[in-house]
Amino acid sequence: MNEYENKWEDRINALMDGELSATEAELLKAEAADDHDLARAIIEAYQLQQLMDAVHVERAPDSLRKRLRAIPREHRSVPRFSLFQPRWALALAVIPLVVIVVSLMRPDTPSASEIAQARQDIALAFAYIDKAKVITGREIESSVGQTMADAVTDSVNRVIKSPNLTSKENKA
Amino acid sequence: MSKRYRQWVKDYQDQAWTVARYILKDAQEAEDATQEAFVKLWNNQDNIDPERVQSWLMKVTRNGCLDRLRRRRDTVQFDESYMTGDVSGPMQDVSANETREWLKRAIAGLKEPYRSLVVLRDVNQHSYEEVAGMLELNLAQVKTYLHRARKQLREQLAEVRP
Repeated sequence: MNEYENKWEDRINALMDGELSATEAELLKAEAADDHDLARAIIEAYQLQQLMDAVHVERAPDSLRKRLRAIPREHRSVPRFSLFQPRWALALAVIPLVVIVVSLMRPDTPSASEIAQARQDIALAFAYIDKAKVITGREIESSVGQTMADAVTDSVNRVIKSPNLTSKENKA
Repeated sequence: MSKRYRQWVKDYQDQAWTVARYILKDAQEAEDATQEAFVKLWNNQDNIDPERVQSWLMKVTRNGCLDRLRRRRDTVQFDESYMTGDVSGPMQDVSANETREWLKRAIAGLKEPYRSLVVLRDVNQHSYEEVAGMLELNLAQVKTYLHRARKQLREQLAEVRP
């Protein structure tokens, strides 16, 4: 289509679509009175439009209607809960992370109940140590003698009671 | 069944079917293509703006049909005699029904995107803006292509009319 024909086509189609004002439509018809080709194009456009008016949206066949109604039954949604669904997988992955973060955020200062429990544990541990000291002393005494036994048990006791102090610190 | 899906089926099944029918020219394949489009609608119903369902569905239906046409060309030559019978020769003393069938064949014989434009705009009566959205064209392109399509139909009509 050349530029002249394009101009026609735009105006003819605008006429068919009812987009031309009354003045523009009259102007086009006046032009057509002097232009045989334009007049013929307008007549053909009207004829085509009349034919088009008889062509309607087609009714979908019953077989298709049935198939479309069956889609929700045949294509059920994904189950609402599934461990393999992305959102649940994400939630499950987050749980250990939350536990770790909470444990890291716990305050360093122990609670009163934890201190009481620790004291009980320590008292029990010292009771065992004292018992061990007596038994060890007896065994050493029987094999080496009382003097050596006292030296060994005293040094062991010192280390147990103050495990972080070196001999240099003791002297200081 | 989702109430809104049921309503969409009721509102748009004929339009989608018409698009598929004109593009594919084969009833069975057009049914399959329309069903596929509605399955996609069902599966994506929560992600589609309810205001744009019609436009979305027409676009998906058309794209599905064009994919089928491409696959068809890749495999065997399909018998397109249905709806693409001879549109030449004078139409003398023909009934309105025959004239309508002639025009349907003529529309089905247009090339893309002219065929889809005529079906969506002149048969399904969508607005130019809706057609532009469905075919992902701008308004000027829609008008230009549609004018060319109508001119082709006019010329064919002039050849067969006495």
